[in-house]
Amino acid sequence: MFALRSYRLLVIWQARRMRLFLPLGIVVQGLFALGIVAGYPLLFPSIDRTTILYLATGGPVISLITMGLVAVPQLVSAAKTEGTLAYMRSLPIPRLVYLLADLTVWAAVVLPGVVFAVIIASVRFGLDLQISPLVVPSVILVALTATSIGYALASLVPPMIAQMASQVLVVFILMFSPLNFPADRLPGWLAAIHSVLPIQAMGEVMRGTLASNTFPITLGAFALLGAWCIGSFAATSVVLTRRA
Amino acid sequence: MLLQVEEVTKRYRRSPTPANDSVTLAVEAGLVYGLLGHNGAGKTTLVNQIVGLARPDSGSIRISDRDVVADPGFARRACSIQPQSQIPIDGLTPRQAIESLGRLRGGEAGLVRVRTGRLIDVLGLGEWSNTDGARLSGGVKRLVSFCMAAVTPGRLVILDEPTNDVDPVRRRLLWAEVRVLANEGAAVLLVTHNVIEAERSVDRLAILDHGHVLAEGTPAELKAGIVDDLRLELVLDPEARLIETPQFTGAHVVSGNRITATVPAALAGQAATWAQDLRRTGRIEEFSLAPATLEDAYVALVGATPVLENTPEETDVRAA
Repeated sequence: MFALRSYRLLVIWQARRMRLFLPLGIVVQGLFALGIVAGYPLLFPSIDRTTILYLATGGPVISLITMGLVAVPQLVSAAKTEGTLAYMRSLPIPRLVYLLADLTVWAAVVLPGVVFAVIIASVRFGLDLQISPLVVPSVILVALTATSIGYALASLVPPMIAQMASQVLVVFILMFSPLNFPADRLPGWLAAIHSVLPIQAMGEVMRGTLASNTFPITLGAFALLGAWCIGSFAATSVVLTRRA
Repeated sequence: MLLQVEEVTKRYRRSPTPANDSVTLAVEAGLVYGLLGHNGAGKTTLVNQIVGLARPDSGSIRISDRDVVADPGFARRACSIQPQSQIPIDGLTPRQAIESLGRLRGGEAGLVRVRTGRLIDVLGLGEWSNTDGARLSGGVKRLVSFCMAAVTPGRLVILDEPTNDVDPVRRRLLWAEVRVLANEGAAVLLVTHNVIEAERSVDRLAILDHGHVLAEGTPAELKAGIVDDLRLELVLDPEARLIETPQFTGAHVVSGNRITATVPAALAGQAATWAQDLRRTGRIEEFSLAPATLEDAYVALVGATPVLENTPEETDVRAA
């Protein structure tokens, strides 16, 4: 009961704290999704249905991942620098509740963009997406995993390094991750790296549930994501509980 | 005893000297206890260990007879803290921030609302109570973070430099509220290097220096060693050069154009004549001779490093 109340109060606290950032974040995420879905096709002189599908389903994933791996580390690093994180740690709130409340607010920022991207793709390319009901848990899993990895990153390393790492991650995710294109286009060594990283699995999970008539829903991808989610959650809560 | 700190030693990596060295002190419920010391004396380190943000290398910390090194969760429930660094509340109004904290600390909604309203009133924060935190001055923010610690107080309330940036009138109101907290039954641990304010506000105190407790007791007990001393304060002419203090003065502190020194009471006449002479020749603007204060006792104990005014505290590990 106390945990539930703390969760509710913290969500309100964080939402108010980010009052100015929230609408802007939602707009930026929406524009980002729009750019990937509607802008990327400009790179290709002619475009087939599979490419379009990759772009349409990759867009939302990129939105989710950039929020988790880029915006979250930056916001958490800032909270660390200004002392908010330590202050929150001194309050009688379960660590997990604190983490979940943060994740909820960030999910609220990124989800409208995800929905927007899917709608834009459907309208722009006349796609008839076959959306599986599994899309809801998939989005939650992807969002949770991305944000908790971002959180763990920001908690584990000094703020400056977290900020730089998140910049490098953007390039890696946008250019060298099989989200907007199939994994078999990657060189062997990079494909091998991606087979254990969660990014590809995030793409597969979202593709499989957004266009379930074209892409398979693979259990392996869910399992890998689940493992990353639990791992980064555990790492973060250890860091949040650690005493100097 | 509500808080019992025994033989606590804490050494940070890469630091040759311990931040806390066998610190022992006890704080009773209903009293205001001062923790005084220079920058880097180990005050914030001790606080961090009490609230479970840092772990002592050895020694024990007990709150209400419970081992909080083993159970930091209990420490967080038992302590409410006003940290030395400002708590950013951008996006929230003072009223929202104080009420949220009161509720997060487990306070019942109605009671929290009433207590929030009262704190805002007594500290004169009414005109800002619904202003966005981003637009508040440093002093108002400091008062808000005091309220955040006081609205649903723990049995131990820890205030780390609560009056920094606060105007003189509201400082008095704040000290009165600190006393209210103690009267309501809380033990208040006041961390400060403002000795002058501490003398008026604390029931007992410990002076921390280089990680260990130099002295502990009531302000009167700490002044006992200098009961036969007077305090001579000289205000120099801004144009004049520094003045050589005579043999009969004790440890002295230079702060801006002020020199403060102790003088044995028996030599009061001699000191007054000497100072009056300086004044007549225009080398000082004014002087005063008064009973020695806690500050003089502090200087006598810690040494005459002129850092008695509010200056940024030791590296705050909570922000690291």
